[in-house]
Amino acid sequence: MRFPWNRMETELNSEVAHHLHELTAEFERRGYSHQDAVRMAKREFGGAEQVKERCRDERRWAWLSGLRQDFAFALRQMRRSPGFALTAVLTLALGIAANVIVFGVLQAMVLQPIDVPHADRVMTLSLSTSAFPLIAWPEVRDVRDGNTLLSAVAAYSFENVGMEASGVARPVWGYEVSGQYFEVVAIQPFLGRLLGRVDDDRQGASEAAVLSWPAWKNDFGADPDIVGKTVRVNKHPYTIVGVTPQGFYGTEKISQPAIFLSLANEASLGGGHWLEQRTDKTVFSIVRIKDGVTLPQARAELDAIAARIRRQYPAEEETLGFKLARPGLLGDTLGGPARAFLAGVMFLAGIVLLAACANLGSLFAARTADRAREIAIRLAIGSSRWRILRQVLVEALVISILGGACACGLSWMALTGLANWHPPTEYPIKFSVLPQPSLILVALLIAVLAGVVFGVMPLRQIFKTDPNDAIKSGGSQSFAGRRWALRDCLLAAQIALCCITVTAAFVSLRGLGKALTMDLGFQPRNAVVTKFDLSPAGYSSEAAGQFQRRLLERVSQLPGVKAAGYANTTPLKGDLSSARVFSQQTTDFRPSNKAFTAYFFDVSPGYFAAAGTSLLAGRDVSFTDTAKTPAVALVNREFARRLFHSGDAVGRYFKNPSGLTIQIVGMVADGKYLSITEDQQPAAFYPISRDASTLTALVVRPRGDTADMAATIRKVVRDLDSSVPIRESSDWDSQLRLSFFPTQVATVALSLFGAFGLLLSIAGTFGLASYTVSKRLRELSIRVALGAQAKQILSAALGRMLILLGTGSAAGMVLGAAASRLLSAIVYQAGARDPLVLAAVAFTMVLTGSLSVAGPVRRALHLDPARLLREQ
Amino acid sequence: MTDKKTDLIQGTLDLLILKTVAHEPIHGYGIAQRILLTSKDILQVQQGSLYPALHRLQRKGLLTSEWRESGSGPMAKYYSLTAAGRKSLQEEKAQWQRYAGAVALVLES
Repeated sequence: MRFPWNRMETELNSEVAHHLHELTAEFERRGYSHQDAVRMAKREFGGAEQVKERCRDERRWAWLSGLRQDFAFALRQMRRSPGFALTAVLTLALGIAANVIVFGVLQAMVLQPIDVPHADRVMTLSLSTSAFPLIAWPEVRDVRDGNTLLSAVAAYSFENVGMEASGVARPVWGYEVSGQYFEVVAIQPFLGRLLGRVDDDRQGASEAAVLSWPAWKNDFGADPDIVGKTVRVNKHPYTIVGVTPQGFYGTEKISQPAIFLSLANEASLGGGHWLEQRTDKTVFSIVRIKDGVTLPQARAELDAIAARIRRQYPAEEETLGFKLARPGLLGDTLGGPARAFLAGVMFLAGIVLLAACANLGSLFAARTADRAREIAIRLAIGSSRWRILRQVLVEALVISILGGACACGLSWMALTGLANWHPPTEYPIKFSVLPQPSLILVALLIAVLAGVVFGVMPLRQIFKTDPNDAIKSGGSQSFAGRRWALRDCLLAAQIALCCITVTAAFVSLRGLGKALTMDLGFQPRNAVVTKFDLSPAGYSSEAAGQFQRRLLERVSQLPGVKAAGYANTTPLKGDLSSARVFSQQTTDFRPSNKAFTAYFFDVSPGYFAAAGTSLLAGRDVSFTDTAKTPAVALVNREFARRLFHSGDAVGRYFKNPSGLTIQIVGMVADGKYLSITEDQQPAAFYPISRDASTLTALVVRPRGDTADMAATIRKVVRDLDSSVPIRESSDWDSQLRLSFFPTQVATVALSLFGAFGLLLSIAGTFGLASYTVSKRLRELSIRVALGAQAKQILSAALGRMLILLGTGSAAGMVLGAAASRLLSAIVYQAGARDPLVLAAVAFTMVLTGSLSVAGPVRRALHLDPARLLREQ
Repeated sequence: MTDKKTDLIQGTLDLLILKTVAHEPIHGYGIAQRILLTSKDILQVQQGSLYPALHRLQRKGLLTSEWRESGSGPMAKYYSLTAAGRKSLQEEKAQWQRYAGAVALVLES
């Protein structure tokens, strides 16, 4: 293919050649020899290249052909200095990718509403008195029946259930929904029908199940005749009546349900009779506001309903109030921390991008300064300034586009990876994150802008100087002089910014370290926890108590068991019960008179020894503590401190909400109960023999290895009764992974940014140091030749670098310390003022700083002045 | 050959080129030679200005060109006027005469 500019170029050459030919002929006619005539013709014609260049400028295709040349030139330049190109592209790719990934997650998790029609009308209904959006089913029912402004009101709860498909049971999220749930989300079934009001009109009304589209597709092979077939959930048969449409992922963003069952079936599924208790806040509620009704109107009506309920049930509902919040993240509970964390990470990502831009800026500045001589020559032989500007622009553009392309690939991989990733927990958590094309575009735009701005800025300097000077001085003196140049400031800024990310990374690493080694109040390491519920196997609470005691006796006799005990649940599992605590003097037990609210556990004798919780004073619970003997309890130190303002609690009393006086017979060490980031909470432990629970968590601490213990205990339980469904039996550590999950995710994310920051600062420092040394090689070699010592050479060559590194790092650490406050929501005990963190950051910055100037320093020290001066 | 040259007044080169090309198709070297000849060796056109001007006029559509054998060897690019060029020549010529007459009036007053 021939391009117009190719033809034009040939023609231009021929035209000039013809002119020269005619001139030569003229001189020959005047009697000169051929050689002389050629020489004189050339002199007469003048600068042929200059003429051609000016002709090119006049041509129609000039800009296009010039652009093509510029692109070719830019690529050739990049091939010639791959180090510069690679650094610049990598810098950009990292900076952009970080932002695209973080913003992608932010968008999916926080900004985007749940995917249902008119999502702005859908709200979570919860209690104004509690942060966690759990509510009692009777309260939801009161709102459902008493309102005029809501088009639908539903309750739901989600549970990890075992769903059998093609003969294999798999743990999945099951939503138990009340009759109006699908009216709230307003979706149409993909197959069959959805659950409706008829499935919910009385307890156990319906054995109907609705599958989610992904479950239908993956677990049931997209069977078109699925409706009417049977699926077993927790061993109980249900009839499949329909499939939800593709793209419906339930109303919680992280738990995508596989199956929907009727809430009226809770009795057969979870064995609970909690549904009718006003004090048991156990379900989530979601409502749809009627079109045309404003949020304040809806709130006002809810307030009126709450007032009515308060009057009707003064004892149980004294403080009742409702609130509405955006749905998706457990109501909005996770919304706050998630937003705070993502804002923090977004801030860091922005810093990485800024640092990348600064890095790019100093790279381009150094590069343009390097090319001062070349540019001066081009100006001298007739290149227009616009032409030079355009060429620099094109080069910046090529690098930006390459960097952007790499970033797109990187972020695409990361986000799809995240979407397909299943966190290592027993719960099927899933992120529905997809890369946003618009986002990549924006990031690309930022990068191009950064490249162009920083590429062009240094040109001003060159245009101001006289080409002659620049050529003579080799372009060095006027640009690498004593003055602080733009790129110096950029480097300091970049180091400061990178230092922030490094500080954040270390703060979170330190936090994770503390979290992993912190005192939980029990020792999850080297212990096995076995959990099961006896009610599906048909046990009454009394029979359950007997079964548990028999099991404990068997297990205690196993060889290798150091200690064993059981409880209704274990800490950090999220299924705690809490209750109000009253002082002994209280006679009126309304909620406002409480001393505080504490977590309550039911434990067996030996539980504390098995769990590794130290008994500080008094005695352990005993099987002789029953419902017929005086009520006793053990409390933790925090409980004693809050109630008695002293550590001396044994022998003293407190009252429960029904007015029963309970004697404290022992005190145990404080621990973590709901989450590892919680402030110290009070907790109390009742003897499980007083009121046996069918929920069982057996804790066994073996003498040596835990390897076979879990299997052994499974076998013991099965030997006692094979119909008992064991929920889990495994190392306590591994069961606690979910608790450490947010901290781990935060640490991974922040460490990644720290690494990005370090990479960037190494690239920037190394680039500028080697640039400084190479610019001043001549001066340095003269110094060496005149007998300068190594120390003097170093301070001459890199003294300024060290000042920049120092100020940048110091400023970065101060800023980083301030920024770390943002992290405290997620990271356990995040604090940048920790001397260890400060030392680590300082050490890292010094280390990377030294590493990145090491090369240039070696070069400066190993100068051979004779050779160098000869070469120049 | 470079002795008695006079630099062209800015803006007159285009007019001289148009006029010179109007007689017959002619190549760049010929244009320079003819201007020198007809101005009795006074107006010397610099190659550095001539060729960019030719390209500019061609881009504007006033000139057209074709490649032909020149009398003395290699192919040469021969320029000729287009209709638009002919019209432009008339206008520029009239304008120049007005201008030159005005300058003469002022100088002789």
